[in-house]
Amino acid sequence: MNSSPVLQSLLAIIIMAAIAYGSRVLGLLIMLRVPLGPQVRRFVDAMSNSVLIAVIVPIIVHGDGGVRLAAFAAGTVAIVLRSPLASIAIGMACAACWRWWFV
Amino acid sequence: MLPLAAFTVAFGLAFGVAAVHQGVNDWEAILMSSFVFAAPSQFAALEMWHSPLPLFALAVTTLAIHTRHMLMSAALYPWLQPLPKRQQLAMVVFLTDSNWAMALGEYQRGERNLGILLGGGVVLWSAWVVGTIIGLAFGEGITDPGRFGLDVIMLCFLLMIVVSGNPRAVMILPWLAASTSALMAYWWLPPYLHVIVGAVTGGMVAILLPERWFRVRVL
Repeated sequence: MNSSPVLQSLLAIIIMAAIAYGSRVLGLLIMLRVPLGPQVRRFVDAMSNSVLIAVIVPIIVHGDGGVRLAAFAAGTVAIVLRSPLASIAIGMACAACWRWWFV
Repeated sequence: MLPLAAFTVAFGLAFGVAAVHQGVNDWEAILMSSFVFAAPSQFAALEMWHSPLPLFALAVTTLAIHTRHMLMSAALYPWLQPLPKRQQLAMVVFLTDSNWAMALGEYQRGERNLGILLGGGVVLWSAWVVGTIIGLAFGEGITDPGRFGLDVIMLCFLLMIVVSGNPRAVMILPWLAASTSALMAYWWLPPYLHVIVGAVTGGMVAILLPERWFRVRVL
């Protein structure tokens, strides 16, 4: 592709927005016709988390100690405290501290 | 509603800061927040936002993340059913993870006022966009983001989404399969394919597991 970066970004955002709205609408349209079976539900359920896992695992594996510590801390806090913001804040603090001391 | 809106401003802020760190232009981040309005796919997109943009990988990743919203709007269908079709389609514009969960809770408690759904959506949308703008302004003042741990915001956010959705023991196998296949694809396949490979593998493994494993709730 040799189009200008601006056009490319616009195109990317339009594609993302279309898919984001499309999936919200599609759920309604499908329900008008057929109820989703348990197999489909299970696939979608597992896939929507697997895609996030697929994004983060290489970042953790190839990250520095700060990134790994942050991931571990944020994951633990999210499970134990069930607080999303605390989880992100503690993850950031861990990464910052690690780099403060070791880099 | 107010605590949720405050949270959303904070998340928007986190997104804005992360976007600056990833070299995303201000207008791109603002357009994304205004029109895509979905934190997980926006954070995932940041990871791929390098020129030339991998449009296909972006599309498939967004699709894989958003299929969940199909299930959500389908679950809201009984509530929306009395409306004319055009209004039904307008109601789901602002549907996101958080206000969907809230709306479904209200519906189960007997609430039938659809204004909550639309009004809540509009409030969260404004909070998200405002948060993004603050985050962009804030992020620009910081020269060494790694020093303050700003580069791990995206990672922590996505990780938090995965584990806070009430993880069940039965998901260990699909998630392991997703991680392993994604990692191998990351090493040996062309860039960004690992996201698609991991997503599909995870979904496939979940289908292949015996039905009865899904009936036991361990966690």
